[in-house]
Amino acid sequence: MPFELRDHTADVAVAATDGSVDGVFASVADGLAAASCADVPDPGECDSDRFSLTVAAESREALLYDYLADLIYERDVRTVLPVDNEASIEEPRTEGPEADAWHLDASARGVPLEAIDAREVKAVTYSEMALEETLQGWRAYVVFDV
Amino acid sequence: MTTYDANGITLQKVREHVWEIPQDEEMGAPARVLASEALLEEIADDRTLQQLKNATRLPGVRKQALCMPDGHQGYGFPVGGVAGIDAESGCISPGAVGFDINCGVRMVRTNLTYEDVQGHERELVEELFDAIPSGLGGGGVLETDVETVEAVLERGVDWAREAGYATEADLAHCEDEGRRKEADAEAVSQKAKDRGKNQLGSLGSGNHFLEVQRVTDVLREEVADAYGLSEDEIVVLIHCGSRGLGHQVCTDYVRRIEEAHPDLLDELPDKDLAAAPAGSRLAEEYYRAMGAAINFAWVNRQLITYRTRKAFEEVFDADWEGLGMELLYDVAHNIAKKETHTVDGEDRELYVHRKGATRAFPAGRPEVPDAYREVGQPVIIPGSMGAGSYVLRGGEDSLSETFGSTAHGAGRTMSRTQAKNDFWGEDVQEELEGQQVYVKAQSGATIAEEAPGVYKDVDEVVRVSEALGIGDTVARTLPVCNIKG
Repeated sequence: MPFELRDHTADVAVAATDGSVDGVFASVADGLAAASCADVPDPGECDSDRFSLTVAAESREALLYDYLADLIYERDVRTVLPVDNEASIEEPRTEGPEADAWHLDASARGVPLEAIDAREVKAVTYSEMALEETLQGWRAYVVFDV
Repeated sequence: MTTYDANGITLQKVREHVWEIPQDEEMGAPARVLASEALLEEIADDRTLQQLKNATRLPGVRKQALCMPDGHQGYGFPVGGVAGIDAESGCISPGAVGFDINCGVRMVRTNLTYEDVQGHERELVEELFDAIPSGLGGGGVLETDVETVEAVLERGVDWAREAGYATEADLAHCEDEGRRKEADAEAVSQKAKDRGKNQLGSLGSGNHFLEVQRVTDVLREEVADAYGLSEDEIVVLIHCGSRGLGHQVCTDYVRRIEEAHPDLLDELPDKDLAAAPAGSRLAEEYYRAMGAAINFAWVNRQLITYRTRKAFEEVFDADWEGLGMELLYDVAHNIAKKETHTVDGEDRELYVHRKGATRAFPAGRPEVPDAYREVGQPVIIPGSMGAGSYVLRGGEDSLSETFGSTAHGAGRTMSRTQAKNDFWGEDVQEELEGQQVYVKAQSGATIAEEAPGVYKDVDEVVRVSEALGIGDTVARTLPVCNIKG
């Protein structure tokens, strides 16, 4: 599993690693899902369609923050828990109207909240956030407010 | 001089229960921790002290940043943190309020005694659990449209009164009469409104709960009389906040401030301290949006009160007015408000940030409702499911010591992950039932995470508050039944 839930006095932290930046984004998102629900049903066990989202932000770190914030937003308005996350990141373009913005195309399988026992994660925080390339690949650390 | 060292930070003992981190070249002001030695050891066990030091770097912090006796690590600004920041030359920080804007507590009195409730506990806990939406995706008492949400954001509990969910007396016994006048629905994003429209009147999960309690001890008779509390009386305590709407408001403004004020952010040691300079467009807009989210939270707790009254009517076969189910008080513990305080002998308007801290104004302050102005405002300090809770009144020394603030609860000592390793929800539930406390939650994991053993000693928190004169004990309560998400 490329993520771990880490101790935090009142909240929950997710530490994730992956060979690619795309993978580490998706792993943090999967960690967010695991922080909400310990026992997510497999695709065959309940109706759970995939949905897509796109995010743009001024930096890679801000992109991760906005991505996780948008997953929490989607959870509340779709009343599904986003799991089995996939993410694809595009670096800033140098020309055109969207120059200087980082882009993310993502998708998730939405498990209906009524089908699971899930705890509410309130928000993503910047506190102690880390997103960096290491010799082994990429690592991220994100604290969520519970 | 007595000192205490923790993780490279030295605190000097100023006097009993007051510890100071002296101002160094990085800090904008000194910082103080209000704690006994036992509580200080727990507070110093995580990053609370570093976060408190960081909080002094917010521009315009006056006197000192403070950590209340129940403080613990949060994100950016510590939980239990209080900072009075100059409203002309300082800043306002969404992270120093917290994501759950106006997370708070209210207490509803009844004229029932513990004897009246004994034998009905199981029925009552089931009725309340069915009546009060809780957990993730549990909906709300009201699942409505954006137009109604906007009315709630602008008018607060006054909207609930007009819609038949509240009485005039409910307004009169709520902080600010349940309405922040600066609230502006237009300052709240569509995303926030979308999240809020299906959650109005819901507990959520985590440490939020509704608890039926019995008053076991009256500790200040005259004040208890003014609050309408007597020994053996049944009361209801409701703890929750502004739900997804408030969380989204904070998220939106942290990001907007990050984009608009990068220079200020660069000077701060933690991005979650992101702050808008006082007088800037974003500072004013955030203040109006926060006011709207505060109103939403008050209506949220009011709708839960409405359903609670109905549940009691079912179980006790009497109307709620006959059961004496009047609101004692509703008070926020995640909030920033413009208040006037004396600093260096001068009255200054400050943004008083309280994150996991309760306003505790003493008798005489004009902000205290008429009903309590002669005795001081009620302060409600929830404890754990096993240890009970307290009602305090704002202490005389709170204005000089803490910008009129005290603790907000027992404060966690153990992470949720460790709690789930150390406790098993069903075991905790059975143990509590052995103590005549009936608990029902959406999952056993929630009960384990909120087990009595994961909290500080609420008696000690309250003892320190009393000793410092910032909050005087009025009554103690013990749980009878508890529901949570």
